[in-house]
Amino acid sequence: MSNIRGLYIHVPFCIRKCAYCDFYSLAGQLGLVERYVEAVLSECRAYTGVPFRTLYLGGGTPSLLGDENLRKLIYGLRQCLDLSGLAEATIEVNPESATVQLLETTREMGIDRLSVGVQSLSDYELESVGRIHRAAQAIETLRRARKLGFRTVSADLIIGLPGQEWETLRMGLETLTGLGIEHLSLYCLSVEEGTPLAASPPGDLLSDDAQAELFDQASRFLERHAFIHYEISNFALKGHECLHNLNYWRGGEYLGLGPAAASHYHGKRFNNRPDFHAYLGNPAGQREGVEELGVQAKAAEEAMLRLRLLSEGLNTGELAARFGYENVQDLFGRLDEMATAGALVYDGSSYRLIPSRVLTSNPIFCRVLSS
Amino acid sequence: MTNVRNFCIIAHIDHGKSTLADRMLELTGVIHTGTNAQFLDSMDLERERGITIKAKAVRMPYRSRDGQDYILNLIDTPGHVDFNYEVSRSLKACEGAVLLVDVTQGVEAQTIANAYLAVDAGLEIIPVLNKIDLPNAMIDESRLQLEEMLSLSAADTLLVSGKLGTGVPELLEAIISRIPSPQGNSDGVLSCFIFDSYYDTYRGVIPHIRVFSGSITSGDKIMMKSTGKVFEVDEVGYFSPQLTPCQTLKAGDVGYLGAVIRDVADIQVGDTIISAAHPETPAIPRFGRSQSMVFCGIYPINTNDYTKLTTALEKFRLNDSSLVYEKETSTALGYGFRLGFLGMLHMEITIERLKREYGQDLIATMPSVVYRVVTRGGEALMIDNPSKFPPPDNIDHIEEPVVRARIIVPHKSIGPCMELSESKRGTLVDMAHPDAKRAILTYDFPLAEIITNYHDKLKSVSQGYASMDYDFVGYYPADLVKVDILVKGGPVDALSYITTRDGAVTRARALIHKLRKLIPRQHFEIPLQAVIGGKIIAREDIVPIRKDVLAKCYGGDISRKRKLLEKQREGKKRMKMVGAVEVPQEAFLSLLKMDE
Repeated sequence: MSNIRGLYIHVPFCIRKCAYCDFYSLAGQLGLVERYVEAVLSECRAYTGVPFRTLYLGGGTPSLLGDENLRKLIYGLRQCLDLSGLAEATIEVNPESATVQLLETTREMGIDRLSVGVQSLSDYELESVGRIHRAAQAIETLRRARKLGFRTVSADLIIGLPGQEWETLRMGLETLTGLGIEHLSLYCLSVEEGTPLAASPPGDLLSDDAQAELFDQASRFLERHAFIHYEISNFALKGHECLHNLNYWRGGEYLGLGPAAASHYHGKRFNNRPDFHAYLGNPAGQREGVEELGVQAKAAEEAMLRLRLLSEGLNTGELAARFGYENVQDLFGRLDEMATAGALVYDGSSYRLIPSRVLTSNPIFCRVLSS
Repeated sequence: MTNVRNFCIIAHIDHGKSTLADRMLELTGVIHTGTNAQFLDSMDLERERGITIKAKAVRMPYRSRDGQDYILNLIDTPGHVDFNYEVSRSLKACEGAVLLVDVTQGVEAQTIANAYLAVDAGLEIIPVLNKIDLPNAMIDESRLQLEEMLSLSAADTLLVSGKLGTGVPELLEAIISRIPSPQGNSDGVLSCFIFDSYYDTYRGVIPHIRVFSGSITSGDKIMMKSTGKVFEVDEVGYFSPQLTPCQTLKAGDVGYLGAVIRDVADIQVGDTIISAAHPETPAIPRFGRSQSMVFCGIYPINTNDYTKLTTALEKFRLNDSSLVYEKETSTALGYGFRLGFLGMLHMEITIERLKREYGQDLIATMPSVVYRVVTRGGEALMIDNPSKFPPPDNIDHIEEPVVRARIIVPHKSIGPCMELSESKRGTLVDMAHPDAKRAILTYDFPLAEIITNYHDKLKSVSQGYASMDYDFVGYYPADLVKVDILVKGGPVDALSYITTRDGAVTRARALIHKLRKLIPRQHFEIPLQAVIGGKIIAREDIVPIRKDVLAKCYGGDISRKRKLLEKQREGKKRMKMVGAVEVPQEAFLSLLKMDE
C-alpha cells in the first residue's frame, strides 16, 4: 500500500439539486452548516495526529460553507490532524457561490488547487439540466482564481448535455484554455436511476455515440493544447495532475469525513451512511459497508484502477512485489490475453489501455476483475 | 384381486383432472379435505402450466355402498398430445379410464386422441362431464359431442363437479361396478410391467410397477427381462400417496419396489420384471416406442459444466424414457447433446426442467425435424441437424416429415384458422361439422411448420378455443434449402436452418434483422450474413459500441465502481462466446420468435 494518505471531506450542501446528480447532497439545509462543521471536527478526532498528504473538499457544493465556516473547518482539521506535509489542497467551488471573499479565504487557508464546476459555457445547456449559474459567472470565477494565484485551476465539463454540439463545446474549450486553466475533468453525462433527468429526459439529450464523438474531438483539442490525457476522464498540463485523485487510481489509502464519504483505510473500504441528520447526531458512528477483499481480488482491483491511468499504466513488477507473485499470476494471464487481443499494450514493464479503448474500457475492466 | 380396480383419468388440458383426483383422494381418506389442491401436479412446472407431465400412481382404500372393501389405484396420465407415449404407458397398467370433459369447453382434440388410445388399449371407458356447477355449462351439447365424436352413449355419462365434489361418490361406485377387476394368477410366475421410475439419492432407482402375474415380496430375486440383470428386492409397497411399504404385491396390484439399483441404465420404463428363477418368462409386449419428432442441441453456457449436464440427462431420462439424446459437437458452441423430443411442448418442458430441477445453465438451439436427404449417389440420409446436411451440389432431393392434424375450432374462427394453416403450408384434407358450433378441420402439414409456433397462433386466432392433435403421416419431397448464418465472417453451425426455397430470402432478412437486435453491440463491428451455399442472401452489420465506460469517481467510492463492473460481468456470463463475439442465449432461438 502507498503510505501517502489523502483526506476527503464531503460537503453535502447544495442550493438546488442538478437534474443529473445522484451524489449525496441536500438542498435547503444551509442553516445547518455550522453544526455540520462541528460534526466533521468531532468525527476527525478519532484520527488525531494522523498525517495526510492531500486534502480535498468535495461535494455537494463546498463553496456554500461560506468563508467563516470554511475557516473554522480548515483550522479545526489542522489542529487535530497532521496536515504539515500537505502537498496539495483542493476545494470544489460552484461559480455562483465562489465569491471574492471565499476565494481569498481559501488561499489564506493554504488551499492551492481550485476545481470549478463550470460544466458548460452555454447558458442553454446549463439551464436545461438545472444548473443555477450562467457561463459568464464561471468565466468570472476563473479570472478571479487566476489573480489569486492558485497553483492549479481546474474546470469540470460535461459531455452530452441536451443540444450540445461540437461548435459550442469547442468554443467553451477555447475559452477555458484561453483563461489558462491547467487541469480539466471531462465527464460523459450518464442518466442515473432515480434522478430527475431519468424521470423526464429532455428530447435533445445526446446519444452515447454522439457523446463518444464529442469526447474524442474534445480530447484531440486538449492534446493540441499540451494537455495530457492522464486518466480516463482527466486532462492536465504536465505537473498539474491531481495528486489526490492519482492516489485513488493508484490504489492508495484515504480517509473520507462527512456523510456518505468513502474511505480506504488500513486495507478496508467503507462508507459513512448517506444520512445527514444521523451524521449530525453521531458523526463517528456512521461507518457501513466495510469491505475487505482477499489478496487476489485486491490485486485485481488495483490493476483495474491503475489501468485507468493512461500514461502511467500498470507496472507489473510493482504489483507483484506488493501482492506476491502467486497472487497476481492469474491476473497477469488475463492481462496477457487482452494484450494479445490488442486491447492493452505491454512495453515489458507496464500494461496500458490503448487510446481507442478508453471509452469502451468497461469490458476490459470486467475481465481484469473476473476470477 | 376381485376387489382391486386400476384406472386412470384422461382429459384435455385444464379440464379439471387434478381437482377431480383431489376430491377422490379426500373421499377415500387418503388426504385430508382441503389439504393440498392439485395433489397430482406436484411439479412446479405442472402447476404453473396447469398440465400433468409425469405419470404418477396412488392407492385409495374404498368401502362401497354395499359394504365391500376395495382398493382403487389411480394412475395419473399427462393430457398433452406430446405425451401420448406416457399416456399409453399408464394405460397399460389399467383396466379402465375415466374420460373427463369440461362442459364449458366441450370435447377437445386431445379428448379424442386420448380416448382413442384408451380404446386401443382395450380399456373400459367411463365418460364424465365435469364443471357442471358453472353457469356456462353446456351439458347437453357435451353429451351430444361424446356421442357424435366418440360414440359414447349419453346414458353412460356421469355428471360431476370436481370443484364442489358433486357426483364424485357416484363416480367411485361406477368405477367399481363398470371397470373390470384385474385378471392374472397370483400363484403364477412373476411378470410385472415398469410404467414409471424415479431416482432416489439414498435408495437408487425406484421402479413403479404393475404386477400382471405372480407376486413379489422383499427378499425375492428379480431379473430385468431386457438386460438380464438380477437384483434382490429389499422393499415393496404402494403409493398412499407417499411410499408405503407392504408385505407383498400380487397380480393386479400397482406399487413400487426398491432393490438398490444404482445404475440408472439398468431400469428401462416399459421393461418387464421377471423372477430370476424363471429367466424364460416372456416379456410383456411393449407398445410402440415413442418416436422423436423434434430435435435440438443443448450446450452448457460454461463449457466446464459438460459433465454436470451429462449426469443431469441420465437422471432425467430415468423418468422420461421418451427423451432420447446423444453427444454432439458444435464448432460454435463446443460439446453438448442432441436431444429428441415427442413434440414442442415436450421440448420446452424438458429444457425448462433441466434448468430448474437440475440447475443447468444451458443454451438450446433451434428445433429441427428429421429430414430425409437423398444424395446424388442415391443414398438416403436421415438428418436431424441442419449443420449435418451434405453440400447443396451433392443433394438430389430432400423429403420432410408430414403430419395430419385434427383441429377442433369454433365456426366463427374457421376463416382465421384456415388462413393461418395455409400460411404454414397446410393442405386441407377434410372439414366436418359434428355440431352447430364447431368444426373439425383435418390438415396435412410439414411437421417443421407446426413445431415452431403454430399451436400458440392457433390459440390466438381462435381466442383460445381451438384445440389440435396430430399424427405422423410420412415423408414427402419438398423444395428446401439450408441457410447458414455467419457472425463476423465465421459460420455458426448452431444457427443453420432448413427452409423452403421460396421464402428463403425474406425469412433470412427477417432473421438477420432479429439477430442484429439480439446481439449486443461490442467494441468492434460485427457483420451478420445469411448464406445459401456460397451465396449471400442477407446482411446487416452491428456497429461497434463507442461508449461503455465508468467515468466519475464519486469522491473515491471505488467499491461502487467495482460493483457496477461486477454487475456488468455477471450479465456477460449469460452469454456464449462465439469466436470473439458474445452471443446471448435468446439468439439461438431467434428464428422461433421472428414474427413476434
